[in-house]
Amino acid sequence: MLEETLVLFRNIRTPGYDGTLDSYRKAGGYQSLPKALAMQPEEVIALVKEAGLRGRGGAGFPTGLKWSFMAKNTGKPSYLVCNADESEPGTCKDRELMLKDPHLFLEGMMIGCYALGCHHGYIYVRGEYFPAIKSLNKAIDDCYREGILGPKLLGGDYELDLTVHTGAGAYICGEESALLDSLEGKRGHPRVKPPFPAVAGFNSCPTSVNNVETLTNVTAILEMGADAYKSLGSPNNAGTHLVSLSGHVNRPGVYEVAMGVGLREIIQELGGGVRGGKQLKGVIPGGSSSPVLRADEIDIAYDFDSVGKAGSMMGSSAIMVFDEDTDVVKLLHRISRFYNHESCGQCTPCREGTHWARQLLRDFLQNNGSERKLNRLQRVGRNMGGTTLCALGDAASMPIVSFLKKFPDDFRQYYATAS
Amino acid sequence: MEVFYIDDQPVPFEKGEKILSAALRAGLEIPHFCYHPALSVVATCRMCLVDVTDLGNGRPAPKLMTSCSTDAMPNMRISTQNDKVQEGRELVMEYLLVNHPLDCPICDQSGECTLQDHSYAHGTGHSEMEYNKRVYGWRDIGTFVQLERNRCIHCSRCDRFTREITGTDEFGMFNRGHELTLDTFSDRAMTNHFQGNMADICPVGAITEKEFRFKRRAWKLRKVPSVCTGCSTGCNITIEHDRNEVLRLKPRENQDVNQWWMCDEGRLTYQQMNEREQRLAKPMGRVKGKLLQVTWQQLYDAVADRLEALKPNGEQVVALVDTHSTLEEMFLLRRLLQEVFSSDQVFYPQQDWTQPESEFFIETLITTDKAPNQAGARLLGLKGSQEHDVISAMKSAKLLLVLGNPFINEQPLLDLAGTTELMVHIASRQSEWTDRADAIFPGQNHAEKEGSFLNKQEHWQRFWPALRPSRHVRPEWQILSELLHMGTATPVQQTPQFSQIFQQMTSIEHKLFGNLALEKLGESGISLADLRQQSDTLAQTA
Ligand SMILES: Cc1cc2nc3c(=O)[nH]c(=O)nc-3n(C[C@H](O)[C@H](O)[C@H](O)COP(=O)(O)O)c2cc1C
Ligand code: SF4
Ligand code: SF4
Ligand code: SF4
Ligand code: FES
Repeated sequence: MLEETLVLFRNIRTPGYDGTLDSYRKAGGYQSLPKALAMQPEEVIALVKEAGLRGRGGAGFPTGLKWSFMAKNTGKPSYLVCNADESEPGTCKDRELMLKDPHLFLEGMMIGCYALGCHHGYIYVRGEYFPAIKSLNKAIDDCYREGILGPKLLGGDYELDLTVHTGAGAYICGEESALLDSLEGKRGHPRVKPPFPAVAGFNSCPTSVNNVETLTNVTAILEMGADAYKSLGSPNNAGTHLVSLSGHVNRPGVYEVAMGVGLREIIQELGGGVRGGKQLKGVIPGGSSSPVLRADEIDIAYDFDSVGKAGSMMGSSAIMVFDEDTDVVKLLHRISRFYNHESCGQCTPCREGTHWARQLLRDFLQNNGSERKLNRLQRVGRNMGGTTLCALGDAASMPIVSFLKKFPDDFRQYYATAS
Repeated sequence: MEVFYIDDQPVPFEKGEKILSAALRAGLEIPHFCYHPALSVVATCRMCLVDVTDLGNGRPAPKLMTSCSTDAMPNMRISTQNDKVQEGRELVMEYLLVNHPLDCPICDQSGECTLQDHSYAHGTGHSEMEYNKRVYGWRDIGTFVQLERNRCIHCSRCDRFTREITGTDEFGMFNRGHELTLDTFSDRAMTNHFQGNMADICPVGAITEKEFRFKRRAWKLRKVPSVCTGCSTGCNITIEHDRNEVLRLKPRENQDVNQWWMCDEGRLTYQQMNEREQRLAKPMGRVKGKLLQVTWQQLYDAVADRLEALKPNGEQVVALVDTHSTLEEMFLLRRLLQEVFSSDQVFYPQQDWTQPESEFFIETLITTDKAPNQAGARLLGLKGSQEHDVISAMKSAKLLLVLGNPFINEQPLLDLAGTTELMVHIASRQSEWTDRADAIFPGQNHAEKEGSFLNKQEHWQRFWPALRPSRHVRPEWQILSELLHMGTATPVQQTPQFSQIFQQMTSIEHKLFGNLALEKLGESGISLADLRQQSDTLAQTA
């Protein structure tokens, strides 16, 4: 029987734990930070590298490596910006951390700031997350009051301020460069890369953008050491991760599992299987942008590399399950509507393609599909992939291409019937 | 410089330069929309895709790259023609056209439209879009331009222009996805003085000049290089004309003078070029107190008779010249006074001019000196009105020559004109001087004649004739050289050529103009400082 491996959720799963500074301290909190402060910043980065931590924001990029890219000796301040925009459909794990154990996350953020030599960190939170924003702000206030944050970090001689900044409801502001534009007070538009944020990020200063869960893992790494952390996951996929399980399962929710456990086991054993005893039809394994897997394709290990090998992506570890009664055309239409609505519109294939695809799918739903439209939909979808400025074009493309490939017959039933 | 290869042709590049900018510099064309050399790179139109078959390290790029945003690398190899690239362009073109109205027949941009050109060259020629297109109304967005959002391809050049070039931030992006629009804020019209440039850099007919709206098809226009006369900056322009009418002025790139730009006020000077009402159309002479139309010969004879009778000399001869006059005209006028009347009293209205200081280059274009050639008058040693007392000079004048329309706001000078024995006015337009003149020689306007100016930075620039003048008028340089011949009694051979006058000026004033031949003064002019340096080095090597 698959069980949770509790590292990030250890406190949250402890009965009576309420996430306040007091209870966090009682549970052994703010012990990792002094460890980090006793090290040289480079040693902290080396440790995170050694632990094999990969970013939980979607791309799985090695965090230590990203940190080591930060431009040095530029004469400018450097920044750590936490990406708490969490808006990929299906993903709801960062919210759990911010809401229920904010200090665990904040401690990781503070360690990150120290490692990168930042004296000001920003947390860019999805604007709709009112309770999480409140909880974060309270936690930060408490830290200032207790002398954890401020001119003397934990009473030492490192100065650190943290600021919570709330988004205004745009998915694209989760893309790191658009996030930085938005944080600077501009319209959130993905930037041309290079230069990467590590060279010219927030206000053109060296910046690292990291996901909430990624930073929270840093607290754990400092606590348990690189080897113990690595031993939790599968090779090249270290540690545990928070899986947002949703859709037609009996027990949807956020679960913490070690990297590399079986995808089917997560659905069956943690999620309690498909709702109502129905058959499984398919799984979107990594947030709505990841290519869909059919029911017969899910006997794989759930980590970055294995899901990648299966032709999809683990992304932000958001598993969306759908049963045999699901109308995948409706599902794809819903997904396409989302990407159309969220495209920033600046680059041609995504601006025009997301809308065109949505129009074609609406045609199908109105029983007005045809072989020609199916081919066109496939072409419109494919042509958005790899041709755009940011990955939203790919995110819009992958579901279309994969749904058409995996479930072609479902679309045929919507062909226009001569009446 | 290191090189990389575009379709096997070596292209030199500077470190950090992008593929597209190096290619354009080498004269190679890669289709693009959003890239503009004056603006930041956004890489959003995706038209400039190229296939990097070798990144310089033996490995190919994983997918097509946008050449505007990809660094050129030593020994990189790029294909701009293979099937992959063509397919990439086709799909971008298809996406660009799905919502485009294609109303080319009534679009002012038609014929000079990048979208039109690229669809012709790189499109598939057919569309599979079968839904309604996006429709917006047109918008009045400023004093000089208007916006037809249906035609917008969202390249954001306009937005970047008001942000990065004028610093006025009047444009913005609104809404998202397929509803993205570029527009002014809160329906507020733009007020910057450089809006015409937005029509220039807009690759399609979304931003167009109001002045030019529905006036002519672009392909009818003939284009002649010229210099703007709106102020002492002397922006390089093209006079665009058809059927002997100037339809508009467009800036011509000159990195030493105006970069890519010109101001809206300058653009409006085209109206003066077409102006008819105030035109001095025919030679006139005062007969018994009344101005009557005469022939050129009668006019010259009459002037000669009067001069014979008056024999004005030295202090009795005064000339006033405005700083719209060309170097050649000023030079001839000065010679005329010197050689025929032994006078050096050529006065020009001297302007104290200021130029705004700004971190935005374009804001420094417009100067308060609203004439193009004050620097020329100064260089030729004419007398600036602030340093010399024009009124007292006028008091002893028997003969007054007025070239152009200088000092028209100075009533005391105008009044003194009545006290002279003979007053000659040489100009293309009427003014307060005309009523006071005894002999009127009708000249040609800026669009009709040839000449050269010296701008505020002593950049020497020439312009060419665009319009065909009426046969009753003559260029001022010709009139002046005819008067000169008449006075010195050298026989007038045939009508002189402009190039001869120019040659005369540069050889007599070789210290100033380095004996430059007319052909050597190209379309982008030459800075006098550079010229001096050149002739110094020439002198040293000789
Ligand atoms: C369209 C788009 C939306 C994104 N949204 C998020 C998001 O909501 N949260 C997040 O952490 N990363 C998001 N990302 C990924 C970020 O760009 C970035 O890779 C990530 O924050 C890096 O953090 P990590 O290294 O800790 O994974 C998004 C990327 C794209 C292209
Ligand atoms: S791919 Fe879409 S969201 Fe990303 S920059 Fe282009 S238009 Fe904007
Ligand atoms: S913008 Fe270009 S393609 Fe569009 S209507 Fe005008 S001329 Fe035609
Ligand atoms: S109005 Fe013209 S310049 Fe502005 S974005 Fe549209 S096409 Fe580009
Ligand atoms: S010119 Fe390169 S993307 Fe537009």
